[in-house]
Amino acid sequence: MAGQVGAVPDAATGTEHAGTITVAGPPNAAPTWILPMITAADNSVFTVPEFDYQMYRPLYWLTNGVEPKETPSMSLANDPVWSNGDKTVTFTLKANYKWSNGNPITSQDILFWYYVLKAALKESPANWAYYNPGQGFPDDVTSMTAPNASTITMNLSAAVNPTWFMENEIGTIQPMPSKVWDIDAAGGKPVTDWATNPADAKKIYDYLAAASKSESTWATNPLWQVVDGPYKLTAFSASTGGFTMAPNPAYGGPHATTESNVQFVPFTSDQAEYNAIKSGSLDVGYVPLPDVPQAKTLTSSYNEFGYSSWSWSYVAYNFKDTTSDFNNIIDKLYIRQALAHLEDEPGYIHAFFNGAGGQAFGPVPQSPASPFTPANAATNPYPFSTADAASILKANGWNVVPNGTDTCAKPGTGTGECGAGIPAGTKLEWSVVYGTDPAVLGEQVQDWASQAKTVGITMNLSSSNFNYMIQNYNDPASPKTVDKWAMEDFGGFTDSTYPTTENVFNSTGSSNLGGYSDPQADKLIAASISSPNSGAVTAEAQYLTQQQPGLFQPNPDGGFGTASIVLWKKTVSGAPASWEGLTQDTWNPEFWFLTK
Amino acid sequence: MIRYIARRIGTSIVVLIGVSIFIFALLHAIYPSPAIDVLGSRANSTLIAAWNKQNGFDDPWIVQYLRYMGDLLRGNMGYSYKLNQSVASLLSEVWARSAWLSGASLVLAVLIAVPLGVYQAVRRNTFGDYAATTVAFSLYAMPVFLLGLILIQLFALDLHWFSFEGSQSTSLPSIIVDPHSMTLPIVTLTLLTVASFSRYMRSSAMDVLAQDYIKVARAKGLPERLVLLRHLLRNACLPMVTLIGLSIPALLAGNLITETLFNYKGLGLLFYTALQNVDYNVLLAYTMIGAVLTIIGNLVADIALTVADPRIRLA
Repeated sequence: MAGQVGAVPDAATGTEHAGTITVAGPPNAAPTWILPMITAADNSVFTVPEFDYQMYRPLYWLTNGVEPKETPSMSLANDPVWSNGDKTVTFTLKANYKWSNGNPITSQDILFWYYVLKAALKESPANWAYYNPGQGFPDDVTSMTAPNASTITMNLSAAVNPTWFMENEIGTIQPMPSKVWDIDAAGGKPVTDWATNPADAKKIYDYLAAASKSESTWATNPLWQVVDGPYKLTAFSASTGGFTMAPNPAYGGPHATTESNVQFVPFTSDQAEYNAIKSGSLDVGYVPLPDVPQAKTLTSSYNEFGYSSWSWSYVAYNFKDTTSDFNNIIDKLYIRQALAHLEDEPGYIHAFFNGAGGQAFGPVPQSPASPFTPANAATNPYPFSTADAASILKANGWNVVPNGTDTCAKPGTGTGECGAGIPAGTKLEWSVVYGTDPAVLGEQVQDWASQAKTVGITMNLSSSNFNYMIQNYNDPASPKTVDKWAMEDFGGFTDSTYPTTENVFNSTGSSNLGGYSDPQADKLIAASISSPNSGAVTAEAQYLTQQQPGLFQPNPDGGFGTASIVLWKKTVSGAPASWEGLTQDTWNPEFWFLTK
Repeated sequence: MIRYIARRIGTSIVVLIGVSIFIFALLHAIYPSPAIDVLGSRANSTLIAAWNKQNGFDDPWIVQYLRYMGDLLRGNMGYSYKLNQSVASLLSEVWARSAWLSGASLVLAVLIAVPLGVYQAVRRNTFGDYAATTVAFSLYAMPVFLLGLILIQLFALDLHWFSFEGSQSTSLPSIIVDPHSMTLPIVTLTLLTVASFSRYMRSSAMDVLAQDYIKVARAKGLPERLVLLRHLLRNACLPMVTLIGLSIPALLAGNLITETLFNYKGLGLLFYTALQNVDYNVLLAYTMIGAVLTIIGNLVADIALTVADPRIRLA
């Protein structure tokens, strides 16, 4: 498959060799949790897909190469079957997946996970990363039963969108070995009443969570040696975050014929990792976007592949900022459309991403392809054109002063007038704060502001750090500072495979940083969660792409939790999808093998 | 002397309490709670409230401060929310690594800079002095990462004499006996320290050379070697003692850029990561340790000065 940079070759034919495959661990990438019930504080690509999923598989494997769609052969369960008006869901576990101690994965293991989860959440809602109070799992579940050893049936309190519930809710379940983990002390007797006695379920959770906090014992604690994934942990360094895994011979899913150990080597900086690549001591690694041109010197010994990740970046607009009537300016669709016309996405990808990125005009990017991609995600509805931006402003009553500052010449709400709440003489001038890291945030915003100036829009730029921005330029979390910022660019969000913007662009969303509020968007987002329509989320993305609730930005190539391209030595090979998936932070080393 | 030390320790405790209140209040003023940073930008208000309660961030800051100090007095430096380990274990894992890197390079730098500075002072305005000055200025002006990159490219990637990264061992003895890995990071730091120390030493030695007692020593026929060793070196080293004393905190603070460049996980990197993550307890512990070491460094330098220079009296 050809990428935006490089290509993935076919798997090598011939003898597969075993050994140890070394993989780069980027800075600050140490896993911090092992129990397959991830806490909100520990949720990261380095702890979940790279580490935990190697040992504890989720029920559904929702990526396939670069694409955000299910790979059925890697899912532990068959697709769910819906009934009762989308209020009852039933799924069956596959027989080929087993625990490493030989026991089958049964419906009791799902129930065990469910009751331990309820105990964990009662202790603190922060004990599960995917918990959304009053919505989805487990609050929507009125009962969960196991009709037989391989079947689970859930009854829900209200009808849900089946695709959303499968991908965002059931898909997060990681079965836990109930026959081994039903203890509340090392070597303790089985605590078998976890389904009926919440106090005992709590004791089990507390014991398992305490073991999960003890990083220095992860590799030796017998708890973590019973796995259903392709690997077992054999060594873990709490001080560096480096770890080694060995193949699980009992793994029931697809894998290379001859599997190798995998060693994750931690690095303190991207430069240190790049030095290791140059020295040839790493089998699999990455190169950050600024270094992509240099990486071309490595193509004799490494394969290179870059593909944009399934995520979205944006400049957030603050619809509640009343400073100089900014709220009344930014709530006009024509203003947001003019701003979109001032963004040169192909230019940014070429100049700032070194070609390693893809365009994105809404919350669903142009690439990778997805079952939910709307029609207007393929071609920019507001392509770069300062002339178009100027025309839009003039047509709506603004006196456009190139390289000056535009003012509203025709106040009022009629056609050709500036619109409600914009008095005569109002200036198109506001502040934009951008994050200092990564540098491409500032580079894009600076270019956007300079293009805006050519049509008389003045953007006063300043930089800040990510932590400060999300603490202070965040209307739901910081109501005191709603008038302190107009626009900010801190980065963006990584989508789950089902790309609803629920929580971000619905009026009551906890991550609706700029207080965007649109009844039609609310209706479409609600439909993505609760309507039976499988195309609901596509309609949501289509509408938001047209409405531009923020300035959607191009998507850099991904992998290793950062904007980068991925590299692997030519002496390592494997199924192409396993290399493609690295760009989406999906890790399948079970498909890799050494060719020498 | 004992009364002096006791009084200095007493004032140091007051300073430490002041530093702790200042840092604690400053952190809370900027980030009242690290909840959003820990939980991510998608965290909802229920999660944030639950997390704050779980970790005591729903109490007034003064209550949090008193609880923190109470724990600290019992030897508990708290827990890192981001790294899921106790601060004590995080520090114990890396302090020796940083201490070795900084300590070895500091000792080497002193061993090179002191004779070099004296040589330059004695032979000032000769070719040797000019050459050493040129090298020192070049190194002084050079960013650490650039010097490190050049050394890695030349000696690790091109010549393969040394490793491109520092030792990855967690055991101090094995780090010490691993010159293949540790030479380049130690040399990088040493060269930079020599660049500044040698300038101080040259300047100090030139001042001493102009003193009357040096002329007297020479006039009474003392061999030049003895003049330099007995009369010049001891006096010229006095400013160096203060300089080295103030360098002691760096032994623990490590050196962030060298550590990141040479893939050598130490305290500098731990602090930098904590700063990025608003990892309260790690930041507080690190700052407090830095304050303690600065005070100790000053005290050691003052005491060392009285030993080196009998004219200084402690009162």
